[in-house]
Amino acid sequence: MKKIILITLLMVVFLTGSVALAADKVNVQFWHAMGGWRIELLQEMAQDFMALNPDINVEVQYTGSYGDTINKLNVAIQSNVAPHVVQGYDIATQMLIDGEVAVPMQDLIDADPDFDIGTFMPQVLNYYRVGGKLYCMPFNSSNAIMFYNKTLFKKAGLDPDRPPKTYEELLDYAEKLMVKDDKGNVAQAGITWNLHCWFFEQFMAVQNAALTDNDNGRTGRPTKAIFNSDDGLKTFTFWNDLTKNGSMINTKVHDWTGARNLFISQKVAMIITSTSDVALMVKSAKENNFELGTAFIPAPADAESGGVVIGGGSLWMVAGKPEAETKAAWEFVKFMAQSAQQIKWHTGTGYFPVRKDAVEDLLAQGYYSESPHNLTAILQLLLSTQNYNSNGAIIGAFAEVRAIVESNVQKMLSGDMTPAEALAAAEKEATVAIRDYEGL
Amino acid sequence: MRKWTPYFLLIPTFIIIVLFIYMPAGVSLQTSLYKVLPFGRGMNYIGLKNFLKLFSNPDYLYSVRFTILYVATTVGITILSSFLIALLMVKKIPGVRFYRTLIFAPYAISPAIAGALWTFLLNPVVGHVSYFFQTTMGIQVEWLTSKPYAFYAIIFASVWKILPFDMIFYIATIQNVPEEILESATIEGASSMDRTWKIIFPMVSPITFYLVIMNIVATMFSSFAIIDVMTKGGPGQYTTNMIYRLYLDGFYFQKAGVASAQSVILIAIMIVVTMVYFKVGERYVHYQ
Repeated sequence: MKKIILITLLMVVFLTGSVALAADKVNVQFWHAMGGWRIELLQEMAQDFMALNPDINVEVQYTGSYGDTINKLNVAIQSNVAPHVVQGYDIATQMLIDGEVAVPMQDLIDADPDFDIGTFMPQVLNYYRVGGKLYCMPFNSSNAIMFYNKTLFKKAGLDPDRPPKTYEELLDYAEKLMVKDDKGNVAQAGITWNLHCWFFEQFMAVQNAALTDNDNGRTGRPTKAIFNSDDGLKTFTFWNDLTKNGSMINTKVHDWTGARNLFISQKVAMIITSTSDVALMVKSAKENNFELGTAFIPAPADAESGGVVIGGGSLWMVAGKPEAETKAAWEFVKFMAQSAQQIKWHTGTGYFPVRKDAVEDLLAQGYYSESPHNLTAILQLLLSTQNYNSNGAIIGAFAEVRAIVESNVQKMLSGDMTPAEALAAAEKEATVAIRDYEGL
Repeated sequence: MRKWTPYFLLIPTFIIIVLFIYMPAGVSLQTSLYKVLPFGRGMNYIGLKNFLKLFSNPDYLYSVRFTILYVATTVGITILSSFLIALLMVKKIPGVRFYRTLIFAPYAISPAIAGALWTFLLNPVVGHVSYFFQTTMGIQVEWLTSKPYAFYAIIFASVWKILPFDMIFYIATIQNVPEEILESATIEGASSMDRTWKIIFPMVSPITFYLVIMNIVATMFSSFAIIDVMTKGGPGQYTTNMIYRLYLDGFYFQKAGVASAQSVILIAIMIVVTMVYFKVGERYVHYQ
């Protein structure tokens, strides 16, 4: 009997305690898709925020990949258990806007005199502004960059300070960097990038080419895909040629780690991958004793000058929460967008700082002279022509369009289709997906 | 009161079944008739359009054909090889228990981990299997990203994963085949081939039939993890089966209506398979 009384007492104390604790703190849930060491980094940033704002409690939850996070959000919204802040990926932008799940960030910015969006990089804002309105807070931005192994360049008799700039040069370099064993198997290949439509998108943008009509869906809703162009064909042919002569290794779909490991283990001499890998690549090159180089991603020699497209993710604030919670969530989002946090995040991962003042501070601290590869990454973005093509396409059915392009690229690489056939099929299927989403 | 006790005890099970099986199935049936917009933005009734679209979609029809091929090959190989291995495993050889444990291990591993394991082993550059092929035969195979090797890799991993389950059943059943029958057959002059295929195999037919059904279910549904981890349905939809197609549409493209239609089709197929199991099974399979 005594025991029961004791347990009951303890439970009462515990429950009242936790209720009291919850009562004077506003809870903000934050879902993100950043795996690995970045989970701790984000947790740390949330701790810093809570130290400054003792009346707000931030629950940070890793919810799997970008796709998984959108999935969970989709279900959570419908069952009213959505978090306050969620990290959405680049290509979900239109779908999230259409879903009307978020408080448009623009409204909060306009209502808050302390916050100046003008400090943000125009390249980043241009990507996330749809119809002139900012719906989410840019947070982790990246794009594609080429890393190369200077040590292997020297071995192959290539100038390590002259990375390939064009498709033509890259084809030539990749072949020279390919090493075959006595049985004719490729022991070392020239280049790799994981099988991802994102690279096709980047290749198109640097050629100043659009993916869909209505200026990449930025002056009106897209109604059809238009990437079956000369630029598209050049890119498909380039990809196919590299693969056919064995100088490129293709991974399976979205195998970022697989491609990265090929480069780190020096099985390939060049890799095109995300700028968010800069920190990791610098560290790995040191561990594996090779000299690392970075370069802008190539374009055909005769291509129009374009630019790279912003990728990565941004922070969305879910609508329909009590006012106090929305206010607390906005404080958290503002905190994450501060220059100091952006620098911490940038140096810890490689994602760009999304603010001009953060770049300025880093420059003043001598950061870019110590980390030349981060300079390549940021310069590629800053030197990009800003127009609808380099601002990136806005497509509701983007995930499906990507899968379609990837599937047809694979059919091309396995020899079932010529580059022209694969490109035509991809465009046709992508148009069906776009029209289906738009209800046309 | 006594009359009601069993029903009372069944309530918890019923709650779970209704909540997690019948209700979702009912909702699937309903949503299969709608175009569902993401984030609960709305549903438009479109009748059977989702189904019509599926049956005129070459990708979906391909996934159906691929599923049939994949299920038939995997189940065929698994049944045959598990029966043969079980025959060895009932022999009284030293260390047989140890071998049984070793062979049973894959069953205890989750499909996702099995997929990850094979992905690593089959990596064209650093994988052990590829190394073996390169050093012994001098060939370099891109197991997971080229045709038809991706198919072989999936089949191999699936068989490896399901085989122990079948084997355990076969070991138990083969041990139950009466010694007298086998002895008298030997006296009558039956060769070991005859004893295996004309006595043991027919006598274990009920279990074979059960295993075929179980394996069809396993390869149709549980194959998701292996395919997702190993090939992601590639190269170019080459290894996209029905369940993976459903995942892509439902959870990757956020098209709940089309995905529900696909799950309704899968439910229909499973109903047919189960009916065959009950009807044909009783008539043709020899029970002792």
